[in-house]
Amino acid sequence: MMIRVERKQRKTITALSDSIGVMIIVCIACASIVLLALLLSNDPLKTLKYFFFGSFQSMYYLGNMINSAIPLIFGGLGVSLAMKAGLFNLGGEGQVYAGAFVASILVLVMAPFGIVGAILALLAAIGVSSLLAGISGMLKAAWNTNELITSFLVSNIVLLVVNYLIAGPFKDPNTNLIATRRIPPQFMLPKIMPPSNLSTALYFAIIAVMLVQIFLYRTKSGYELRMYGLNSTFAIYGGISRSRYQIGPMMLSGSLYGLAGALAIYGTYFTSIKEFSSGMGWNAIAVALIARFRPMAIIPAALFFAYIESGARNAMLHSDVTYEISSIVQAVVFLFVTSTVLQKGSIRTRRNL
Amino acid sequence: MLMHDVSEKAYPNDRMIRAVQMDNITKIYEETGTLANNQVNLVLHKGEILCLAGENGAGKTTLMKILYGMERPDTGSIAIYGRRVHINSPLEANRLGIGMVHQHVMLIDDFTVAQNVTLGKEPIIHAVAYDEKRAEQLVEDIILRHHFSIIANQLVSSLSIGQKQQVEIVKMLYRNVDILILDEPTAVLTEQEIRALFVTLRSLIEQGKSLILITHKLNEIKAISDRVAIMRQGRMIAEAKTDSVDEYEISRMMMGKNVGSNIHKPSPVLSGRREIFRVSNVSVIKRDSGNPLLNNISFSSYSGEILGFAGVGGNGLTELEGILTGMLSVSQGTLEYRDTDVTKADTRKLRAMGMAYVPGDRLHTGVALEATVGESLIIHARHRLSRIGFMQRKKLAQYYRTLSHKYAIQGSMHMLTRMLSGGNIQKLILAREIDQWRDLIIFSEPTWGLDSASSQFVYDQIWLLKEQGAAIVLISSNIDEILSLSDKIIVMHRGKIVARFNHSTNEVTKEKIGTYMLGLAHQGATDDD
Amino acid sequence: MMQTLGPILNSAVVIMTPLLLAATGGLFTELSGMLNIALEGLMLIGAFGAIVFTHYSGSMFIGILAGILCSMLLASLIATVSLYLKANVFITGLAANLLVSGLTVVLSFKLFGNKGVVSFVNIPQLPLLHLRWIEKIPVIGNLLMGHNGFVYFSWLLLLLCNFVLYRTPFGLRLQASGLHDQVLVSLGLRPAHYRFIAFLVSGFTCALSGAQLTLNLGAYVPNITAGKGWIALVVIFLGQKRPFGLLVAACIFGLADAFSNFAQGSWDIPADFILAIPYILTLVAIIGVSIYTKRKSRIG
Repeated sequence: MMIRVERKQRKTITALSDSIGVMIIVCIACASIVLLALLLSNDPLKTLKYFFFGSFQSMYYLGNMINSAIPLIFGGLGVSLAMKAGLFNLGGEGQVYAGAFVASILVLVMAPFGIVGAILALLAAIGVSSLLAGISGMLKAAWNTNELITSFLVSNIVLLVVNYLIAGPFKDPNTNLIATRRIPPQFMLPKIMPPSNLSTALYFAIIAVMLVQIFLYRTKSGYELRMYGLNSTFAIYGGISRSRYQIGPMMLSGSLYGLAGALAIYGTYFTSIKEFSSGMGWNAIAVALIARFRPMAIIPAALFFAYIESGARNAMLHSDVTYEISSIVQAVVFLFVTSTVLQKGSIRTRRNL
Repeated sequence: MLMHDVSEKAYPNDRMIRAVQMDNITKIYEETGTLANNQVNLVLHKGEILCLAGENGAGKTTLMKILYGMERPDTGSIAIYGRRVHINSPLEANRLGIGMVHQHVMLIDDFTVAQNVTLGKEPIIHAVAYDEKRAEQLVEDIILRHHFSIIANQLVSSLSIGQKQQVEIVKMLYRNVDILILDEPTAVLTEQEIRALFVTLRSLIEQGKSLILITHKLNEIKAISDRVAIMRQGRMIAEAKTDSVDEYEISRMMMGKNVGSNIHKPSPVLSGRREIFRVSNVSVIKRDSGNPLLNNISFSSYSGEILGFAGVGGNGLTELEGILTGMLSVSQGTLEYRDTDVTKADTRKLRAMGMAYVPGDRLHTGVALEATVGESLIIHARHRLSRIGFMQRKKLAQYYRTLSHKYAIQGSMHMLTRMLSGGNIQKLILAREIDQWRDLIIFSEPTWGLDSASSQFVYDQIWLLKEQGAAIVLISSNIDEILSLSDKIIVMHRGKIVARFNHSTNEVTKEKIGTYMLGLAHQGATDDD
Repeated sequence: MMQTLGPILNSAVVIMTPLLLAATGGLFTELSGMLNIALEGLMLIGAFGAIVFTHYSGSMFIGILAGILCSMLLASLIATVSLYLKANVFITGLAANLLVSGLTVVLSFKLFGNKGVVSFVNIPQLPLLHLRWIEKIPVIGNLLMGHNGFVYFSWLLLLLCNFVLYRTPFGLRLQASGLHDQVLVSLGLRPAHYRFIAFLVSGFTCALSGAQLTLNLGAYVPNITAGKGWIALVVIFLGQKRPFGLLVAACIFGLADAFSNFAQGSWDIPADFILAIPYILTLVAIIGVSIYTKRKSRIG
């Protein structure tokens, strides 16, 4: 009984100190939005109004905001899962894009098989993304190559190759967009908050969060994965396979990114438009960092990022700033999010540097 | 130093000049809430060697870090040669003439001795450039004056541990310190190296320096010091002239209770002993240099027998630990475990066969500091405690309760392992390993850094295991430990076996083992067991 | 044969210069023990700053100084957050890269009403150095002469860097902070101090590197650095973290790039694949280095 009380207390304390850090980050983000509006806009008040409240003006904007959080949830889970094993998957950009592309092409090919075909296309998309991430895991296992750098580089190569494929061999000749052909309507996920784009993909995202949580904290593999991440020497000493937990988590991480891309096609875009997923991978990393890699915290963190993005979009539509201000705000969040000093809400530890 | 002269007039007797006076020093570590120093007073006279003695965690190192400006006290004052000072950094301490040689050497392997010594206080030429020649000259002067066995332009990576310690001392002398603190300087040295160090320390005293030696070894306190100050649980228990107290009294004050000398006489080997693990002609070779880290090693480990390995750090003990436990793969030779060839087996397989292993580097190999205590404990039992891939939380809690009770592990299951003391971490590891042991158990440096109560606990457990018929391999750089526990002793030097002793039949002394450890002697190949 | 080789070699010298400049600054951060992936962003902001301020001031000198200032400001921001607010240096580097790519677009839109290529017709041309007596030397003469000031400055800088790193107390301490920073701490010195200066140096050289790209072209192209900051990082690793190693590695990349430009002109390779070449080369180099390191340290 005593143990339980103590545990609860510990949880409350860590939750409190964590939320101070998150609050500081959110404040920095808001301050930078205000600053940007003042510097760049001729009518800063109007810009700020649309930035902060635009997302709540109707169901349409609200639904779209939630919808853009979905890929961030999947991606954030992917980053967290790899990170729990001590691995950094920095290739999210390419993995989302590749997953989306494979899904949108294969679903056309598999269309005759109906729903089975759609599921097969989804699995193929997951498989491709998981292999792309897996390459970095395998390189790490074989030669201890830094997975952080290789996943980033592989992703950059993939981005360019997919760009070429969308603009070249797989371009839909019937549209002015640089995009692949639209997927058949029967495979589009149902909308749950019309007229917005929000689809049933949201349910998949919530289920994914719960599954990852259970996997990490309730299963033996999850335990082994976490021990490997906390101290790989200890894990090997305990007979935990090195290569399994260098390759496996990367592949799982990649498949979550692939799922993000594929469901974005099935639920929102219905076609792979050139560079449509640009930024999803990076933002997912920031989401995971804000959530401190805890699955349950991914959802609010993803909503926060989606809020910034949709705020920037609204401000662009109704005022005189460009959409790229969202990437500035996101970069500012990125800049400060790993600061351990801000996390603790003090600069007491500074002296020890 | 002006103020030095003033105080000399005030204290006509050179011996009575107070080089250091620390008053009412209190230090609390907020993170862990420990009271490291509780109103401590300390005096160091000019020209004396003061031993600061106490168990691990008594607060000795903290007190010295405060004197050296690495930690700031919460209350209290420090006076150097009678003048009150605030020491905020090691740099200021150096300026006041205070130097410290840390327990772990703080040197850069890729730099030369001269570069390491002059770093931070480099001689300059042409206004901006580093004067390498002059640096080497200055350092060589110090080396010659004090008869050290190093060369100024040598790379530090090529030095032995004893020599690296000399570099640390030269570093302080280069900074003109006259109050030198040494933190457990003998912990990593052999008997012969310790003797050489003591000669150096004596010569420093003759040149008017004052020394503080942190140690918990009784014989060293008696051998070298003029006075002894004893700390226990953050408090200063006593200060006395070394001549006026005996070892028994010192140890009583250090531990707060009487501890008899608990040296077991090796018991005769049990009848019906079986060969459990056999190592035949094993070598481990580094690819790039072709240097053998282990060179043609052969031995066997039998049930009910403790096989001790002695050697100085860097002579193959770590690699031996690696190959026995599957953490390191062998280049040549074979390993057999109960007649099964396990040359290529990894830790996972060896563990499944019944090997248990208490690692030397317990903080980095033995536990995950950022995991909870429960998670560190169940690393081997995880298969047993899960069903169809899911951990069973009730069984897990039950397992923790049983083991923590049996081995008196303080703390709770959901605490981070980092929060445990060194002794408790070792208990946790022992509990876990003994729980999974079947016939072979490997101990590496089992009492390194532990206080005597914890060490005694570990020795008792090892003896219990031996009585139960375990084949035990004990790897240790602590010769006392090897001598008091082992039935057979093997001495390693430069990756080779240089001596074997059968302890239950032959008389072995510390000096004899030390001679072999340093490579000063070598038994013939015929002198086998 | 000579007709194609000559121009390729000559353009290789120009192509390698930004790499060499960025790598020289990156060497300081690398030796101080910080993985500086912000080289790309530092180059980009330097490139943007240099040409925009040249445009407004009419002076190339002021433009370059302003570019250096922008880049060093960003470098000190990264350094402050990483060193004093103790954030992960890789993430802050990424953030800086993202920040610059957003900022340059936003500013370009605000200042010129255009998110794409901005060409500046009124800015001066980069002067080229010609010394007759050197040009008369066969083969090398043409290779050494006829380049802009950045090229020669990059060589001077390399010599200076070699001196500072290996012949000054600062260099010694900088290396110490990368090799074993606790040693410095135990001597009462602050590794963060040396790391901060290293970041400033990398900001300085990256700005020059970026300025050469835009001023040479007389235009600002979005994302004009196109992964060159990453290649500079590879140049550091491939050059074994030694100043003259950097020169050799930058030469190799310069040649490879010059050749692929030639290939793109001669054969019909999709532009996307050409753009992928730096990343593929980086990947191969990093795998190569890790295989080498693993082999070297292997036991058995």
